[in-house]
Amino acid sequence: MKVAVLVKTSLDTAQLRIRDGVLVEETPLKISDIDRNAVEEAVKLKGQAYAVTVLKWGPLQRRVQEAENVLREVLAMGLDEAYLVADEKLINASHLATAKAIAAVVKRVGADLVLAGEATVDNFSSQIPARVAAELGWPVVTYVRELKIEQGKLVAKRDLEDYVEVVEAPLPAVVSVTRELNQPRIPTLLAIRAAMKKPIHRLTLADLGVEVSPQISVTYRPLAVQRKKIIIKDGTPEEKAEKLLQFLRQEGVI
Amino acid sequence: MKTLVVFPNREVLYAASTLGGEVTALAVSQEELETAVGRAHKVVQLHGEPYLDAVTEVVYRMASGHDVVILPSTKNAKTVGGAVAQRIGLEFLTDVLAFSISGRVLKAERYVFGNKAVAQIETQLPAVLTIASGRFQGEPPQVESKIERVEVGAARVKKLSVEEKPRGAVKIEEAEVIVSVGRGFKKKEDLQLAFELAALLKGQVGCSRPIAADLKWLEESRWVGLSGKKVRPKLYIAIGISGQPQHLAGILESRIIAAINNDPSAPIFQNCDYGVVEDLYKIVPALIKRLK
Repeated sequence: MKVAVLVKTSLDTAQLRIRDGVLVEETPLKISDIDRNAVEEAVKLKGQAYAVTVLKWGPLQRRVQEAENVLREVLAMGLDEAYLVADEKLINASHLATAKAIAAVVKRVGADLVLAGEATVDNFSSQIPARVAAELGWPVVTYVRELKIEQGKLVAKRDLEDYVEVVEAPLPAVVSVTRELNQPRIPTLLAIRAAMKKPIHRLTLADLGVEVSPQISVTYRPLAVQRKKIIIKDGTPEEKAEKLLQFLRQEGVI
Repeated sequence: MKTLVVFPNREVLYAASTLGGEVTALAVSQEELETAVGRAHKVVQLHGEPYLDAVTEVVYRMASGHDVVILPSTKNAKTVGGAVAQRIGLEFLTDVLAFSISGRVLKAERYVFGNKAVAQIETQLPAVLTIASGRFQGEPPQVESKIERVEVGAARVKKLSVEEKPRGAVKIEEAEVIVSVGRGFKKKEDLQLAFELAALLKGQVGCSRPIAADLKWLEESRWVGLSGKKVRPKLYIAIGISGQPQHLAGILESRIIAAINNDPSAPIFQNCDYGVVEDLYKIVPALIKRLK
């Protein structure tokens, strides 16, 4: 069993840098939260497992090192190696290009199963798993909260808005997972040390023989929801309760 | 302009009608068929009970003659949209808040970065998009619909069964007042305080991720946040919720946010209108007493 895990080195939105505009290039990277569940599941399957990452946020030079540091974490969780596709032509908003690059890595390295998080924490667009499956010509099963692999097929519970659907699909396949799937492990100190020696392969689009010509551009504007931030901290609990209710009545919400 | 609508509902049909031109709707369920007839120029009904990858195949075949493909922002629609966009070689914009087309350029906006920013995206037609729910509320014009039936091919993914979700019939996204609970509550029984307060305010009880997903004290239909429900009440009261970015992303469109927490450095205080620094076990009973 060989598993490819799509791991995004996403923007750490908790540390999003905002001055006049959104400073994407100054915001640090981290492993997209839900990808950890995909990594955990891959490690549990006890075959070979590797990470596939496409660097989406520039500047390229500085980010490559940062992405490698971040990827050590999933190697410490138990993945054997990582493939990092870093190319100036991928530093943009095209999901079409991203999926092409990912699929090219999976074709080259081989896999029986591709696992991914249901969405990434920065863009939350949920589209890459279906795109990668389309590019590979494999079936896709999205939003999976329970997964069983048996004799060349998978049985999964898909968590949809109003019900849970149990489906069966042949392997190879692409599966996107939700946080309910498992509890991602915290790597031990020993595992963190061992991860330093695991290989991270850097690739460019030329290495993969992939060409992209994205026709998309994006600008970001910080969301100007200014909250009033009136903090009530003095007085007895009764006085504070009274004050809060007064404010809420003035607002006309109670 | 030729627009293809997949999984039609009123909002998607309305969004499509704003573009002018011809609208074709691909209806997968009976309900979608009934909604689309009289609101789209052509309605294509899928024959049988097709699984998602068979639907994808039909959308792929139909999409090539269209300038825009519009879907609702459901999980199945995003799965179909992503696959179709990749096969044709198009961009796919999800959870679109607003969009416009001039010439062959599509401009659209969507929330990104944990709903802390809005992305303004420009791409070339043809393109695929899903619209955020609640953003396109209007009545599509009445039109004469031509109805066609399409046979679907075999699916590789097989649906074995469907399980009901345990749900307390709560539609938290429709509540005008939400009293939401977090890890500050020490035991499940204590949540009664929040239910009592919610009842007095004629609201519903919501919760943060740990309460629904980890502790399972409340059903998932009450979970508010980025991967739970996104809510837009008049009043959102966060009790014992620290205010992680994923939670804040779900409450962004609330009109007034009040927060109760005993930790003055909790991030929720940076993101609320009114904050009370106090032990919830003292202040919630005081609020209840006054409201009675």
